[in-house]
Amino acid sequence: MTASPPRRTVLRVTDLTVTFDGATDGTSAVDGVGFELAAGDTLGLVGESGSGKSTTALALLHMLPAGGRITAGTVELAGQDLATLPESALRAVRGRRIAMVFQDPMSSLNPVLTIGRQLDEALRAHGTRPDKRERAARAVELLDLVGIPDAADRLRDHPHQFSGGQRQHVMIALALANDAEVLVADEPTTALDPTVQRQILRLLTRINRETGTALVVISHDLGVIAQTCRRLLVMRDGRVVESGGTADVLAEPRHPYTKQLLAAVPRLEAPSEAAANSVPGPEPLLTVTGLRKTYGSRRRAVTALDGVDLVLHPGETLGLVGESGSGKSTLARALVQAHAPSGGGIRFRGEEFGHGGERAARREVQLVFQDPYSSLNPRMTVGRIIAEPLIAHRLGDRPARARRVAELLEQVGLDPDSADRYPRAFSGGQRQRIGIARALAPEPSVLICDEPVSALDVSVQAQVLDLLARLQRELGLALLFIAHDLAVVRQVSHRIAVMHRGRIVETGPADRVVTAPEHPYTAELLAAVPRLDARPAALSTRSTA
Amino acid sequence: MTALTAPAPARSARAAVRNRHLAGLLTARGLTGLALVGTIALAGLLAPLLTGHDPDAQGPLALAGPSAEHPLGTDDLGRDLLSRVLHGITTDLALTFGAVPVGALTGCSLALLAATHRWADTAVQRAFDLVLAFPGLILALAVTAVLGPGRWPVFIVIALAEIPLFGRQLRSGILVQREREYALAARVGGASRARVLLRHVLPNAVDPLVVQTAVALSVGVFIEGAMSFLGLGVRPPEPTLGSILSQSVGYLATHPTFAAAPLAVTTALVLGFTLIAEALNRGIRR
Repeated sequence: MTASPPRRTVLRVTDLTVTFDGATDGTSAVDGVGFELAAGDTLGLVGESGSGKSTTALALLHMLPAGGRITAGTVELAGQDLATLPESALRAVRGRRIAMVFQDPMSSLNPVLTIGRQLDEALRAHGTRPDKRERAARAVELLDLVGIPDAADRLRDHPHQFSGGQRQHVMIALALANDAEVLVADEPTTALDPTVQRQILRLLTRINRETGTALVVISHDLGVIAQTCRRLLVMRDGRVVESGGTADVLAEPRHPYTKQLLAAVPRLEAPSEAAANSVPGPEPLLTVTGLRKTYGSRRRAVTALDGVDLVLHPGETLGLVGESGSGKSTLARALVQAHAPSGGGIRFRGEEFGHGGERAARREVQLVFQDPYSSLNPRMTVGRIIAEPLIAHRLGDRPARARRVAELLEQVGLDPDSADRYPRAFSGGQRQRIGIARALAPEPSVLICDEPVSALDVSVQAQVLDLLARLQRELGLALLFIAHDLAVVRQVSHRIAVMHRGRIVETGPADRVVTAPEHPYTAELLAAVPRLDARPAALSTRSTA
Repeated sequence: MTALTAPAPARSARAAVRNRHLAGLLTARGLTGLALVGTIALAGLLAPLLTGHDPDAQGPLALAGPSAEHPLGTDDLGRDLLSRVLHGITTDLALTFGAVPVGALTGCSLALLAATHRWADTAVQRAFDLVLAFPGLILALAVTAVLGPGRWPVFIVIALAEIPLFGRQLRSGILVQREREYALAARVGGASRARVLLRHVLPNAVDPLVVQTAVALSVGVFIEGAMSFLGLGVRPPEPTLGSILSQSVGYLATHPTFAAAPLAVTTALVLGFTLIAEALNRGIRR
């Protein structure tokens, strides 16, 4: 980025401190955070969950959840301190001068009102546009600005008629309705697919450039920040540990935490580590041929799987990538027999499902879930959760099961004494380890991992990936590793299969698929991955070796 | 936005889960409800100690006002009102505490049955609809028309009225919980459908039922009162809160003290149960 001339500061945050009632240990969720934002500037807030980045954003406009209070510091918007402003005065600032975009575009729009109505409401909120026709014209202009095609016709549409990515576009249009000076985007792309994420990030950058709106982007993903922001703050435990120009911080991180964070981010350029970990056996363990699955009635059938062919060898990691709705999870659930496919066949150890193969597979093919929160029964102790598959398959008596549970907990790197605690006492990463221990309990030979790390912070993600690699090495497991993050998939997989609209469009050695994709969709996916070195010049000169 | 993790005090997870109901009860609301119900129940249980009068013994003084001999006065047949109200409490509570669990268990069993198959679900749902289609009093009249007035019809009507309420509550809980990933995880782990339902889904779906029980108890007291008031309930001379109220109506203009005590006790009971239900509800929603 070229050095820009000094501009007037629109937002100056000094020593901002937020505490939650009931925080007995006296810690603050946000602890002395300070930054300045010039007009037209872009600033990224990056950090892992619990680092206080979202709380910081909400504190700017006094929108903290119940129990949260600003206990110190100032938030100056053009010289006026928002931290001490009464609620009524704040309302004039919200949306008018500082606007926000949230993570979940599915629930942030009112489903019963048309998009036009919602835009109209945002435009009317501050009473600056009394004329209805003028507002309607402005609404069309806004939708045009965020790149919704046929904007004038779509005003009458309801949110469900837009795709997830388009809804986020509409959210941004809503945020821009009153020409806010500052746009705060809190994890704006976390719920979206990479190709859509790229569109949104481009849109944010374009809006910043064209309208001069200062941009604050909050994300756990350093790649997202690198693509959109000139400056960044790295947050940890409510404090800013490092700040500076994005390129400088990424090139030469000073704080050990930033270094650690950067090291944990999987790089798409890094070659696969799977070959060093284990050597796949020659005989296929699991063979899928022409698998089909349709949902719904015959007249309105939705095809989730449209003739999937797949082979998994013992000791192999097969990465399965694709965007949401491509059928990845449907395939995983068919393999663990959670539902019956509509057509095609699955063979396990050479035996067809339905002809004896399914019985062995029921014990030997196990599933690791994406969400470490909802996949563990909150009413059961960890010991019972892990013992459940043992009880179901009648493996061992009570003392034998207790021994096995302790062994499994140790195997996944947890304290064997944690068996009598409940899942809520554990962090996300620890819960994922519990989920893996449960899957390992009946001694499977195939582990289906359905987005096992996408709900985890990068540093925790690296630990769980290490754990999976070690388990594969020690137990000779075959892994079907489903994920949307290509960098992670390349790192862990021997082979990669790319799934698109219920079909496998490309399969090949991991490094080859990433460096020399054969299918245009694979190339599109690869192009959408946010890279850490976002400088356009650097991108063009430094092609993948 | 990312999940906001408000720093929660590190507590034993077991205690936190177990105590959500208890925590709800230990609020001002919950304690008031408990105190109301507890005092009334205790008074009913200690009736023989608190009063020396036989509730059914008639005396020469009819419709007397409060006095040292009769603290609440006497009814139209000269019976001691305090004794009748206290014994009436016992009858009322025995009926509701007996009938509500029967209704609750039947409703829950039907809900579990409904969860096993689509057709069973339809059958059970329509049966619930049928019961719900009758307003409570019509149901009471219908049952009494067959069985005649008495203690059992009241019991049956209370139980019958509760079945669809519990059944629907549990059914909706099961429908929500069984779509959660841990239920799928249990199935993938090899658990049978019955095991998934009973061991995994059911324990997670029963929370609202605790609240429903407290609501049901208040409804039970109400139904007894209404049926006895209409002369469909427990047969005289056995006292119940509803029958004393029913008797007193004729004298409301001339002897308002007659109605005061049973009315106050019934109101306090219903209020107490409602407060407990509300407190429990807030407890589990936190």
